[in-house]
Amino acid sequence: MDDALPPITEDEFRRLADFLYRRTGMVFTETKRYYVERRILERIIATSSQSFAGYFAYLRSEVRNEVEHLINAFTVNETYFYREDHQLACLSADLLKERVMAKRLGDTIRIWSVPCSTGEEPYSIAIWLLENWKDVDAYDIEIVGSDIDTRVLEAAAEGIFGKRALMRLTPQLIDRYFHGLDDERWQILDDLRQSVRFSRVNLIETKETKPQGRFDVIFCRNVLIYFDDESRRVAAENLYDNLLPGGFICLGHTESMSRISPLFEVCRYSGAIVYRRPQELRA
Amino acid sequence: MPLVRKPSSPTVTPIPDDRKLSDVLADGSDDERWTAVRSAPSAPDALPTLSDALSKERVPRVREAIFTALAKIGSSESAAVALRYIRSDDAPLRTAALDALRAMPGAAAGHLPQLLTDTDADVRLLACEIARVLPADEASRTLGALIERENNTNVCAAAVEVLAEAGSVASLPILARCADRFPDDPFLTFAVKIALDRIGSR
Amino acid sequence: MSESSTKRILVIDDAALVRTYYRTALEAHGFVVEEALNGLEGLEKVLLQPFNLVIVDINMPQMDGITFLHTLRSRELPVSGIPILVISTEAGKQDMAAARRAGANYYLVKPIKQETLAEYAAIFCGAPR
Repeated sequence: MDDALPPITEDEFRRLADFLYRRTGMVFTETKRYYVERRILERIIATSSQSFAGYFAYLRSEVRNEVEHLINAFTVNETYFYREDHQLACLSADLLKERVMAKRLGDTIRIWSVPCSTGEEPYSIAIWLLENWKDVDAYDIEIVGSDIDTRVLEAAAEGIFGKRALMRLTPQLIDRYFHGLDDERWQILDDLRQSVRFSRVNLIETKETKPQGRFDVIFCRNVLIYFDDESRRVAAENLYDNLLPGGFICLGHTESMSRISPLFEVCRYSGAIVYRRPQELRA
Repeated sequence: MPLVRKPSSPTVTPIPDDRKLSDVLADGSDDERWTAVRSAPSAPDALPTLSDALSKERVPRVREAIFTALAKIGSSESAAVALRYIRSDDAPLRTAALDALRAMPGAAAGHLPQLLTDTDADVRLLACEIARVLPADEASRTLGALIERENNTNVCAAAVEVLAEAGSVASLPILARCADRFPDDPFLTFAVKIALDRIGSR
Repeated sequence: MSESSTKRILVIDDAALVRTYYRTALEAHGFVVEEALNGLEGLEKVLLQPFNLVIVDINMPQMDGITFLHTLRSRELPVSGIPILVISTEAGKQDMAAARRAGANYYLVKPIKQETLAEYAAIFCGAPR
């Protein structure tokens, strides 16, 4: 840490906190102050700003996505299996129950994970449903994982993961759904690997999103909050279009549609907030 | 494990709609209008069609999509179309217009001189939010000039709110004078103090 | 513990300084205060936690106060029954009428004194004076 920079004052902290709250919905209270200050000082140094005021001006100017860098400094961006599993619980306990009310046995249920990164999320969805949803055999479940980055998609399709990615899974689950390649790496079983379709998609390109079809549930976590205002609108409209009427969309646990788009209805299930494309009114 | 199977359905190929945008907007279903607006070109010549459609559109999500199309064009003229609606008596429509302007900050900011001198205090007040996108020096100049001539304390308060984030040291004397001019407005006094503390902090 | 310290108030306004102004006043009188920046965030908070009163502005991004009122009143009890006080810069008769029609319990015009705010909060929350 550069000792030449004075500590951030309370007023400076509040000014930044109000700005971040408005842009992202993230709340920084006094209890988090020390933690936040360290991250801000790191960014001040990284951007060669001379002072907090200089850094704040740079942050506000939205040049080079500094807001994104700052948010990344606060959030753990690691992806791993069963991350935010309360949403997976909500999926099997509530969302799918709703979705199948209008379906017949054997109908398709389509779930989209976007961005899917190296595949932890779509594979987690598959494993979770096999383990936790009693009706998993009754419907034809289709899982699609999409990302803008073809390299992560290739890794996802390969399905090889290290210890950290598997840290939330019990040894039984790992035994059941992976085979060990060596001490450090496990590969998802072929059946599961073949059961998720991966595709390259840029969320703000309608011609890339539309062909993915319409889904019952979309997981779109920790990406929208990084878009600028215009891109948020376009992405939200695309996601709306990719939902069946009454279909659900889940964001990351620090994200809210209140900073993104008014298109979706707000629902509460099992203590979680989930968003929904309105049902179509029947004639 | 036959439980979760490889999706057999190919990806959907959308059928392109060759009709003119204006025709779809006049006759199309909600979904058709929605789709047509979202693929409307970002070219300025789409603007008259979009502007006309906006004046008639009642379905909220299609209206949202038209505002997004205006933001994508992002010109002074498209901002002008959105700006008409900040005067509306309909609160949701005002919000939709302001959200669109937030998505085209450069284009919106070009209209600030007129907006901040509008005879309608409600317009001046909402325009302060638009000034939030300006860099510190410009925000200070623009909103500072507004505060010095402004008699509506709620408009001043809106400007002070933005300056608390966006202001520079040039705002300090103007803010102090504002609090002196309106000692009986308790919120303004409170807000100015916070703005002075934040801007003046070191 | 005085009764008023268990009363929870949600303040919805897109201006940070307005929220701080209300929070300062209400906390000084023993209320627990939560904040939201627009109607949509307010709706999320109301769905997750109980409140004795919601104070809401009209002009906010994504979801304005009138839409918030309509949406809240169309949900199920107990959420739909929460008292709602609108505090807005909009001073026209039609704005007040629109708020009433949408389900507001009361309507105040800014600027408002902190003591006045606390008095109205006490009335709506049933807190002892």
